[in-house]
Amino acid sequence: MTRYVVSRVGRAVLAVWIAVTITFFLLRLLPGGPTTLMLDGVNDPALEAKLLADYGLDQPLITQYGLFLWQLIQGNLGTSFYSQSPVAEVLFDRMPWTLLLAGSAFLITLVVGIPLGVAAAVKRDGLPDQALRFFGMAGQAMFVPSLAVLLLAVFALKLGWFPIGGAVSSFVEGPQYVASVISHLILPLLSLVFINIGPYALTVRTNMLQVLGADYVRSARARGLSSQAVIWNHGLRNAVIPAVTLMGLQLGTLVGGAVLTETVFAYPGIGSLIYEAVGRQDFPILQGAFILLAITVVLANLLTDLVCLLLDPKLRTGNRA
Amino acid sequence: MTTQAINTAAPSTRGMSPRQRTWRRFFSSPAGYISLGTLAVFALIGIFGPMIVPYPSGLGTDILQPPTAAHPFGTDGLGLDVLAQVVWGTRMSLLVALFAGLLAVAIGAFLGIVAAYFKKADAVITTITDVMLSLPLLPLMIVVTAMVGPSIVTLTLVIGFFSWPEICRLIRSNALVVSGMPFIDGARAIGASPLRIMLKEILPMVSPLLIVNALLTGARAVIAEAGLSFLGLGDPDTWSWGRILQSAQRDGVLVSAWWQTLFPSLMILLLVLSATIVGMRFNDSRAVKVKGALK
Repeated sequence: MTRYVVSRVGRAVLAVWIAVTITFFLLRLLPGGPTTLMLDGVNDPALEAKLLADYGLDQPLITQYGLFLWQLIQGNLGTSFYSQSPVAEVLFDRMPWTLLLAGSAFLITLVVGIPLGVAAAVKRDGLPDQALRFFGMAGQAMFVPSLAVLLLAVFALKLGWFPIGGAVSSFVEGPQYVASVISHLILPLLSLVFINIGPYALTVRTNMLQVLGADYVRSARARGLSSQAVIWNHGLRNAVIPAVTLMGLQLGTLVGGAVLTETVFAYPGIGSLIYEAVGRQDFPILQGAFILLAITVVLANLLTDLVCLLLDPKLRTGNRA
Repeated sequence: MTTQAINTAAPSTRGMSPRQRTWRRFFSSPAGYISLGTLAVFALIGIFGPMIVPYPSGLGTDILQPPTAAHPFGTDGLGLDVLAQVVWGTRMSLLVALFAGLLAVAIGAFLGIVAAYFKKADAVITTITDVMLSLPLLPLMIVVTAMVGPSIVTLTLVIGFFSWPEICRLIRSNALVVSGMPFIDGARAIGASPLRIMLKEILPMVSPLLIVNALLTGARAVIAEAGLSFLGLGDPDTWSWGRILQSAQRDGVLVSAWWQTLFPSLMILLLVLSATIVGMRFNDSRAVKVKGALK
């Protein structure tokens, strides 16, 4: 078990390191180097030399890389071109909203997706199964902003059930604050869940079908257990753990969807920050946002796997047959 | 002698080649005709549309007009015809989908086959693939596209370069099965080089998978391109479906000027859906040893 945990943590660190390294070398490999972006067409050799020295860019590449990693470990992600404030500060202002949105989308997809997939697998080719297959395909083919706009048009503008954007109304406190946060959250959340749940439930369905065809399920049936008992005690327990792991793998896609959803709903998280930064050519923010999101996804993934470890005796003893 | 006997003893094939059988099965339900037909219509719009419809540029007088006879898809905030934008956008989206799909499949197939054949390379390639799959790719593509500078070439390369991991994983697992087959040992025994084995023995066995997954990856590339363009990273000199949505977003009329949102959205949905169905049906219609498609 310790070996599994160590190797799993090692992979998480490796993933973050690769993400960070990609962005570092990309910026350095660009024609003209990073100062081109900062100078933005201004031809001033003195200023360029000062910038190079300030950012340590006159050092050899490997020294720069070490410096960059060292800064990063200390939580220094550079300075925003636009607001001149530290990138980390700007990001942490926005991060709670993205965590709330993506986190609740993650949980709902999990909690609703698993029973949906199980129901489809139990009655194969039944109505829920066929509906799910259609829904899963549609969810994958749907462009997130298209769906977000549709929800916005129907439920916010036409019916007026929900606010049209933002994350919370101003000047509210206590229970009203919570209510306001929830009512602002629902539409962006629905867009994300709708896109993710179909493909996810389809994978759960495939897993469950495999489990239901396994020998131990057949022998449980042969022992005369009711089909309910077989499905819930033997089938689901063995299908749920890979299903939770799979959701961890879908996190990257989910976060990508959150970026687009936040943009449509002007939801003040990292996603709309990215949209603003693209318009302002604020590269440190873009780089920092990617690194932060990558770390978050990798950590969440690690956490999911460790939770599965607690749930799955097979993994705990180290016999991963 | 014996092979002839077996052939005559199995009349079910009725002299059809496997390829013919695949296509017969593919067209056995209307879904086959409809999805492939839709793809063909998209191709026709992409190839010939821009020859008929003038490129939307400059400023028009009819700003934010709902659909009329003169402008069937309405006009945008600059008074440009949305139908023309959609037609030109079709060409752009198809080009990106085609080349990004090909690039991703080429990289994925190469790495997948190498990983399956060389045990030493396997650990490295598998680890990198897993790591790439666990990263949030859209934010990564955003950083890269923003830094390199948005253009149709950038978009194609970025989407292609970041879409290979799933193909690599799939090809690797299938190539592993193939490389354990007796004829590979046979090829090695008669002295075939690893390169020859990978190119002439393993690649042909997994190549039907490549067709299917090129389609599915192309479909995803359409969505990725739309996402990047929607965020303002589209090629400023070409129209794309995502850019139409972006101009509506910029003007704050995503909902009120519904025609600017609806028509490009429908195009994305239809193209991706039909490409996915064609890919899945083609995959299901084949009856060969290797099977698999991206989920």
